[in-house]
Amino acid sequence: MSIAVRSHRTQKRTAHLVRIWAGVIVCLLFLFPVLWMVMTSFKLPKDIFTVPPTIFFTPTIETYTSYLQYADVPQRMLNTVIVAFGASIVSIVAGAMAGYALARIRIRGAATLGVLILASRGVPPIALAVPMFLVARNLGLADTHIVLILAYCSFLIPYVMWLLRGFFVALPKELEEAAQLDGCSRMGAFFRIIVPISLPGIVSALIFSVILAWEELLFALVLTNNFATTIPVAVAGIAGDTVNGANWGALAAVGTLTVIPVVIFALLVQKWLIRGMAEGATKG
Amino acid sequence: MARLSSQTTTHPSRRRTHTIDLFSRWSFLTPATVILVAVLAYPIIYTIVISFSELSLATFSPTSWVGLDHYIDALTNRNFLNSILVTGVYLLFALPIQMLLGFGTAFLMNAEWKGRGVVRALFLIPMVVAPVVAGGIWRQLLDPLWGAVNWFIGLFGAPALDWLGDPTLAMITIVLIDTWRWTPFVALIAAAAMLSLPSDVFEAARIDGANWWQTLTKVTIPLLTPIIAATFVVRWLGAVKMFDIVLASTKGGPGQATNVVNLYIYEEAFRGLHFAEASAMSVVVLVITMVLTAVFLRMSNKLEEKF
Repeated sequence: MSIAVRSHRTQKRTAHLVRIWAGVIVCLLFLFPVLWMVMTSFKLPKDIFTVPPTIFFTPTIETYTSYLQYADVPQRMLNTVIVAFGASIVSIVAGAMAGYALARIRIRGAATLGVLILASRGVPPIALAVPMFLVARNLGLADTHIVLILAYCSFLIPYVMWLLRGFFVALPKELEEAAQLDGCSRMGAFFRIIVPISLPGIVSALIFSVILAWEELLFALVLTNNFATTIPVAVAGIAGDTVNGANWGALAAVGTLTVIPVVIFALLVQKWLIRGMAEGATKG
Repeated sequence: MARLSSQTTTHPSRRRTHTIDLFSRWSFLTPATVILVAVLAYPIIYTIVISFSELSLATFSPTSWVGLDHYIDALTNRNFLNSILVTGVYLLFALPIQMLLGFGTAFLMNAEWKGRGVVRALFLIPMVVAPVVAGGIWRQLLDPLWGAVNWFIGLFGAPALDWLGDPTLAMITIVLIDTWRWTPFVALIAAAAMLSLPSDVFEAARIDGANWWQTLTKVTIPLLTPIIAATFVVRWLGAVKMFDIVLASTKGGPGQATNVVNLYIYEEAFRGLHFAEASAMSVVVLVITMVLTAVFLRMSNKLEEKF
């Protein structure tokens, strides 16, 4: 009897250990491509094009130094920062107010509006790209930061509204009632009471918006060509460069530069990020 | 008379407070509405207008009305229809695989030990790799000559595979890259959802002598159904926009084998300068996407009510 219990217990412990190690291995498998890219970015071509792949090599920053000047990467990085934060801030302000209206204020047609906004998250960007390109061209706005910021609002605002609406619905009603008794206007109550309390939700919406805008490629390809071009366009350019042959080192270096800021950002705010994802999925 | 005058004095002021109230309600919606009309509603309407017109490449504006011509062209264009089919195949494989792997990974991630937080944080990394970069990394890893993957499978005696050059393998590759990029996203949502499941139900199942299979099918999956449905909808909304990964890895090739519809329309419009035809195609895609999104939303809501 006691032997049976003990063997059952060891069986359970083994299962637990297997589960832990399987998780670690899966995690490493998922990380491997990123690690490989970072390694490649510090290699010379003679270490990149080898069979078997070189694992031990003398790291060099040659690819970075040579490619950074040539491809004007710093300017594109700056453009990406401007556009990602510009679009995110506009979208958070507009989206949070609208999300609050949908969650808390009785407006005729608000339910229909909510469904429309959710549905608009399914609009393929390609359906917007052609007219945006034509209008931007005719207005002389092509290749500017502002046109890209506005274009990104087309998917960020619905996203923010949808995410924050769920957040606002869950807040206790007494908050605004108390604020309004104290003589606050509706808008005043929103900015003085609701926004500070909902800061975790707003921060996670902001993080997601910045990441989504940071990675966006289609609008950036269509609406910019030089001055306001973002870093994903540079990556696509290197990846698609068939004239100079496969420049793996450059792709790895610019790829690493694209990914590192977002990874650091994501790890710093991981709690909010994970919470935002969970909230986003449940409170549709 | 007195009654009448009192009515005329109170009425406008009440109307004014009503107007102010209405104004204060709508002021919350104004910024979002104005921007979305400009960058979402107007472009969609303009796309529809262009799709029925001839577009002058001199002025970049629509000129004459041509009715359904572009739609007939689009729906008889074999490459366009093929690109819809390619997108369908990609969605049909990628979404279920990502959901299964995501929930499976979440189960492994939730094992209780001191490294759990680190593992969860590391899973965030693939999720924030820009899709275009993901396509680029994987193209290097899967290169038939110099790629690490072919070298690795060669250790086990497998022949070198032309991951990006063979039509079937190229589609598998696209699904693979997309799955690598998105499984962590599903897994992190699933892990949070699984942790919030009520533990007493599992306790009850254990006391009743349920084995792990019964617990999984009779307790865990029904409890998780709403979150599975919601995650599926979120993934669907992202996956229909598939563009970057294909552009950076296969460019739609070989031939048309991985030319997803967004890439095909993009090339038609901005390489071929067939803006009007491309607009008709994007209206077709818009309609298909909207119908399917509505179906999935309805199904997801039904499932949420049922469980």
